Amino acid sequence: MASFLMDGGVAVAKMFNAIVSADTLQATLDSVSVLVDECKIHLNDEGLEIRAVDPANVGMVDLTLEAAAFESYETDGGLIGVNLSRLEDIAGMADAGQLVHLELDEETRKLHIAIDGLEYTLALIDPDSIRQEPDLPDLDLAAHVVIEGKDIDRSVTAADMVSDHIALGVDATDELFYVDAEGDTDDVHLELDREDLIDLTPGDAHSLFSLDYLQNMNKAIPKDAEVRMELGDEFPVKMHFDFAEGQGSVTYMLAPRIQSE
Amino acid sequence: MADWTERYRPTTLAEVRGNDKARDALREWADTWEDHREAVILHGAPGIGKTSAAHALANDMEWPTIELNASDTRTKDVIEKVAGEAAKSGTLTAGGAGRRLVIMDEADNIHGNADRGGARAITSLVKEANQPMILIANEFYEMSNGLRSACEDIEFRDVGKRSIVPVLRDVLRQEEIAFDDDALTEIAEMNDGDLRGAIKDLQALAEGRDHLAADDVVTGERDTTEGIFDYLDLLLKEAGPQEALEASYDVDETPDDLINWIEDNMPKEYAGSELTTAYEFLANADRWLGRVRAKQNYSFWRYAGDNMTAGVAAAREGTKGGWTRYGPPSYWSKLGRSKGTRNTRDHIAQQIAAVNGVSMRTARREIMPFLATMTHHCKNRELTVAMAAQYEMDASHVAFVTGSGKDTNKVQSIVEDAEELREEAAVEGSDGAFEGASAGEATPDADAADDTEDDGDDTDDGGQATLGGEPAGDDGEADDGDGSQASDDGDQQSGLSDFM
Repeated sequence: MASFLMDGGVAVAKMFNAIVSADTLQATLDSVSVLVDECKIHLNDEGLEIRAVDPANVGMVDLTLEAAAFESYETDGGLIGVNLSRLEDIAGMADAGQLVHLELDEETRKLHIAIDGLEYTLALIDPDSIRQEPDLPDLDLAAHVVIEGKDIDRSVTAADMVSDHIALGVDATDELFYVDAEGDTDDVHLELDREDLIDLTPGDAHSLFSLDYLQNMNKAIPKDAEVRMELGDEFPVKMHFDFAEGQGSVTYMLAPRIQSE
Repeated sequence: MADWTERYRPTTLAEVRGNDKARDALREWADTWEDHREAVILHGAPGIGKTSAAHALANDMEWPTIELNASDTRTKDVIEKVAGEAAKSGTLTAGGAGRRLVIMDEADNIHGNADRGGARAITSLVKEANQPMILIANEFYEMSNGLRSACEDIEFRDVGKRSIVPVLRDVLRQEEIAFDDDALTEIAEMNDGDLRGAIKDLQALAEGRDHLAADDVVTGERDTTEGIFDYLDLLLKEAGPQEALEASYDVDETPDDLINWIEDNMPKEYAGSELTTAYEFLANADRWLGRVRAKQNYSFWRYAGDNMTAGVAAAREGTKGGWTRYGPPSYWSKLGRSKGTRNTRDHIAQQIAAVNGVSMRTARREIMPFLATMTHHCKNRELTVAMAAQYEMDASHVAFVTGSGKDTNKVQSIVEDAEELREEAAVEGSDGAFEGASAGEATPDADAADDTEDDGDDTDDGGQATLGGEPAGDDGEADDGDGSQASDDGDQQSGLSDFM
């Protein structure tokens, strides 16, 4: 209920005019589109903010992109609703390093997108018709791990060969982070100790997660990113990383699979 | 203008009206869920509070909900992804210990959507779920047996008039609209059992007024669907033409299905000359249905409908009595049973079509009958072997064309001989290939290919002339068919020349 009121209080955006590099735009869209097809984008002076939860209420993304990440950025604040897969397709038309110009037409409720002479007019979606944004759960997770994006990629890829779910955990006594995937016949196990990790705050943690979701999130995590992972015992995992040279930040949350006996 | 059914939807189970027993059972199910971990099916007529009860329960238990209803695409994929993940995962706020309620509305209606795998996906999901699930259905018995036995079930009964009136009264009080009691009784009567319908009518009548008098209640009766069995009873036993036609408007079957229902059950009532006349009308109706298909002009449905309902009713002499056991049309089950046969037939037609370069339709209608006659019961053995070799038939195919038993020695030996014949031909063909394996062999090859294509075109136009025209062309090809690629064609050719 609270989030509903919050949405109701935010006006639909009237003015938005920005220029951004295609890489930054693509990274932004990719991070969100792994979970949802449509989302609300909050615009304000400091930058833009997207929060969305997938239809099963299992995965959640919270993204901010600072105004400084744009070449130019102007808005009077407010909310727009977009079809992410469309916008992603359009952004995909741009080459790396090209600039994308986004401009909101207040009259027609359309977003004009210009990429080096190519103009695309994207019909926006009424924000009220998009799923409510989730409240950010306030979690106190015991174990913190800072890990390289490529190690997540390695774990997820290996686990996918044997199973559809994956256990992430921290062994507090041995001070190591581990990944377990048990298939019907084959198993995968990976251990990373303090040496292999960028940082580790030990605490007992072990939770099972859906590999589908982790794989999708993994797609959006840059391989060279430092990912701050927070884990608990049968609790959601939080994964936080920066993009766009530190001017954008993404936090993923994923609810655990219930471990059936 | 908010919908009153939404505005006054109960927020806790205690506010759910008219189904106290079901309500208590649902609460009991939720309280003991940790022990039994079963899903529950709420079933009953539309508009009596099943969905409201599910949401009220979630509210009472403070369970967040995930809802999949009929407006979502409910393919196997979506069900497994969304409901499956929701039912197997903990929550974002409380992790593995957090509960979440998965509500599947109109669960009896899933196969109505694109994907038939959907219903099966739900059954397996119900068994694997680690979270409470509520399935909501109008027709309990339209769900598969497996699904029904995997769940508890709670029946919601129609909400009685006496329970509807107080609800309407509460709503009007909150809307600050004065009313006559008679008006509410009337609305409740019109919507016998359907609480949602009553509230909707109430909103239509009362909104914007400050007083609702009995005279204001003027809405007509709600359309209801008539069951097909009741309709057949009416049509085949007593209704006059007009009554039969008008009653058919309330039957939820397309003319294509309705005609099968009528055709299959009519002989159980009709006999003698009335049956003859009725069949004539059905034949007319069928012709109109054919025209609908051919022209895609659905306004012809009305003529089909007139014939199959009013026509059949008019054909009846007098009225019939008693009780008759009507059954669903056998058409679909016949299609199901003949599926294997039809597949065999289509496979043969496809072979013929590919080899002879004709359409499957031509192969089926104009070539296969001749083959069947020529090879009837394998009397002309040599020809049958040639045919089997030519079209690479196995025993079941030979049996289908000739009418001989599939497992008979006769058919088995024919298939073996055909195999031999094919191998011989292949060897001949490849011999040729090795001989011609010098430079420049590609050109005659290409010519050969062109020849076949041309022949193919001719036969398409030529319709039945195929059988005669074909081998000539292929013979010609056999002469220059010494290229390496021609080994495939090789067995075709020898097959067809034997044919002649």
